[in-house]
Amino acid sequence: MTETAPIRNPSAAWTTVDGDVVIISPEDSVLHELNATASFIWKQATGERTGRAIAEMLASEYEVAPETALTDTEELIAHLMGKNLLLAGPPAVEAQSDA
Amino acid sequence: MCYAGSGQGLLETTGVQAPPSSVLRIEIGQIPLELCSEDDQLLSAARDRYAGFRECGRPIWPVTVRAGKKVQPFGEGVQAEIVSSGPGFSFQLNGAWLRMGAAASEFDGVGSEYTLDSLLRVLLSMLLLPQRGFLLHAATVVRDGRASVFTGRSGAGKSTIASLSPTGSVLTDEISLLRFVDGQWYAYGTPFWGEFRAEGMNRRVPVAGIYRLVQSADGRAEPVAAREAMRLLLPNVLFFARTRQERQQLLEIIAHVAETAPVYRLHFRPDVSFWEVIAG
Repeated sequence: MTETAPIRNPSAAWTTVDGDVVIISPEDSVLHELNATASFIWKQATGERTGRAIAEMLASEYEVAPETALTDTEELIAHLMGKNLLLAGPPAVEAQSDA
Repeated sequence: MCYAGSGQGLLETTGVQAPPSSVLRIEIGQIPLELCSEDDQLLSAARDRYAGFRECGRPIWPVTVRAGKKVQPFGEGVQAEIVSSGPGFSFQLNGAWLRMGAAASEFDGVGSEYTLDSLLRVLLSMLLLPQRGFLLHAATVVRDGRASVFTGRSGAGKSTIASLSPTGSVLTDEISLLRFVDGQWYAYGTPFWGEFRAEGMNRRVPVAGIYRLVQSADGRAEPVAAREAMRLLLPNVLFFARTRQERQQLLEIIAHVAETAPVYRLHFRPDVSFWEVIAG
């Protein structure tokens, strides 16, 4: 999962409230609220960065240990994919953007 | 023959000519609608029901209303579904249909004024989206020139609030219409009434506060932050669309009201003391 580039479900409506992300899921119109770090990860999930790259950005932004950031990022991506809010993107995209 | 125009011709040449008898022009939340029907009985009932919301200006949204079998309006046991969304939005309510085009709508199988009323609510919820507006299950009461909006689903206390408010102060006791105009939120009266049967007033008033009703032994108004406000408001918003764009529009509207309007959780006893709580 960390080597693929997650991308926000284009059918999901989302915005920020008080700086944090809220999402309405496309299937059931349920409101999902993300905390600050989850919001950061969500905003980076454009299909251009792998989960690992997002975790590195998270570690830098919030000054947390890289291992912690990686674990948190993996868990959140898996959670949001389980709710169909994030989709798995192609791993090749990041290779291009990193080049 | 039913007048099916959208204002061109008849209004351009006369300006003051009364509409044909098959046409009823109303305005709700500054959304002018032109209802056109060959069913005299239905249109007559609509004239009575929307008497306070008659409109004489330029109609912008024609609605052709065709009669059909009698069905019950929204309520228990009613079958309602969105059949398609986005351009060509259509909505079915127990055999009655709303079909929405790019510049006009059709209601088919409308058996009563109540069905007409239900379809109008759905139509308005769609027309309000690009106007930064929405319909909310809420009673709205005007006090000192400012609107207090009391929201909650059935049984929350909206009709109780309305019944405890001075005569002539109730904009609506069931469905409130909120719009962001000229940099502030306004509450508009609507003709969509509930148990209290307040017929509503066609005027707009700046919003003083939005209160999520919680019946309680004590009385207090608890301010809530924007995210909590979203949580409290969203379940009470009338919303029928299903496209991503429409959901996005609504989400941004509700996020905006949650961030910019004062929202409270109002613990209240069913007596006039709630006004003291709000004033305090």
